[in-house]
Amino acid sequence: MTALAVSNAVLWVLVLVLAAVVLALVRQVGVLHERIAPAGALMLNRGLTVGEPGPVLEVADLEGHTHQVGVARGDGRSTLLLFVSPTCPVCKTLLPAIKSSRKDERGWMDVILASDGDTSEQREFVRAQGLDGIPYVVSAALGLAYQVSRLPFAALLDEQGILRARGLVNSREHLESLFEAKRLGVASLQEYFSGAV
Amino acid sequence: MIDPAIGALLAGALALLFVSAAFHKLRNLQHFAQALRAYRVLPEWAAAMAWLVPLLELTVGASLLARGSRPGACAAGAALLLAYAAAIAINLQRGRRDLACGCGGPDERRPIAPWMVWRNLLLAGLLAALLLPWSGRPMNGADALTIGAGTAVAALLYMSLEQLLDRVAPRTALLGGPR
Repeated sequence: MTALAVSNAVLWVLVLVLAAVVLALVRQVGVLHERIAPAGALMLNRGLTVGEPGPVLEVADLEGHTHQVGVARGDGRSTLLLFVSPTCPVCKTLLPAIKSSRKDERGWMDVILASDGDTSEQREFVRAQGLDGIPYVVSAALGLAYQVSRLPFAALLDEQGILRARGLVNSREHLESLFEAKRLGVASLQEYFSGAV
Repeated sequence: MIDPAIGALLAGALALLFVSAAFHKLRNLQHFAQALRAYRVLPEWAAAMAWLVPLLELTVGASLLARGSRPGACAAGAALLLAYAAAIAINLQRGRRDLACGCGGPDERRPIAPWMVWRNLLLAGLLAALLLPWSGRPMNGADALTIGAGTAVAALLYMSLEQLLDRVAPRTALLGGPR
């Protein structure tokens, strides 16, 4: 066999392997696309609809500042309502993610933490978790208005006071997928997939 | 004039394509008949003859491999591909972008897209190229490698491209690229 024939045979083998690798990679990209769907747009119950104005409420935080929730904001910023509780262990593991997301997304979004129950217990929670600087609202009415059924729960309102995403947030991925849901303008996981396919 | 190794490689890859397409349709004829009816380009009674399509594809695939039947298979295959392209183009013109193409198996629901029209035109062009006269060079072992491995690589790359154009590209577009 001449050198050229050997080289040709070797090249064919390599090209075959390469083509198989390309196919495997393309399939992996497809799988990845399914995984990065906006999972936080998982909806628990009906009633409040994403894409419609959120309930309007005036609430006061622990420092006495009042916040208008659900109204159109003149400064063009969005609001993330995050419902937590001192007695919820998952909330504590989520708090570092909330703090870093608040920093990363500070260009367009304000975070309001919301809870209800005993005020002194809430103050203790804020101190222990280092949540100073984040508005912390204690209001049962707010939780009822946004139909919070379990914690930690988040609702994202855009600058017009329109509800863009809401749902249970158990992890940083869930939290970030709320932002993705707003950016892509999809209400739910189902909508994302029916739009893509 | 085309080289016999290249001709055989093209014929082998296209035969593989037609045979695999036929098997996809035969696996669930009911599903294919439904897809055919949904295209709304043929009269209603034609959907009852849906089994003819995979049969024709199978015949084209097998006939491409034999020298004597090749010209006929090329013509029939090209006609079939152009008919699909026309059906897809007509439905895209009607604005029915969610129509299932009916090209994959029953568990795969892919909507029609403009790239499928171009793909079919390209494949029909390749079939036309097979009609050119082949040169009469004696074949040896190296040609067998070219034909065998070439067909396998063509099949793998075809599957990758389909996947890329069909699933990956639309979703990547939806994500809006890197932030």
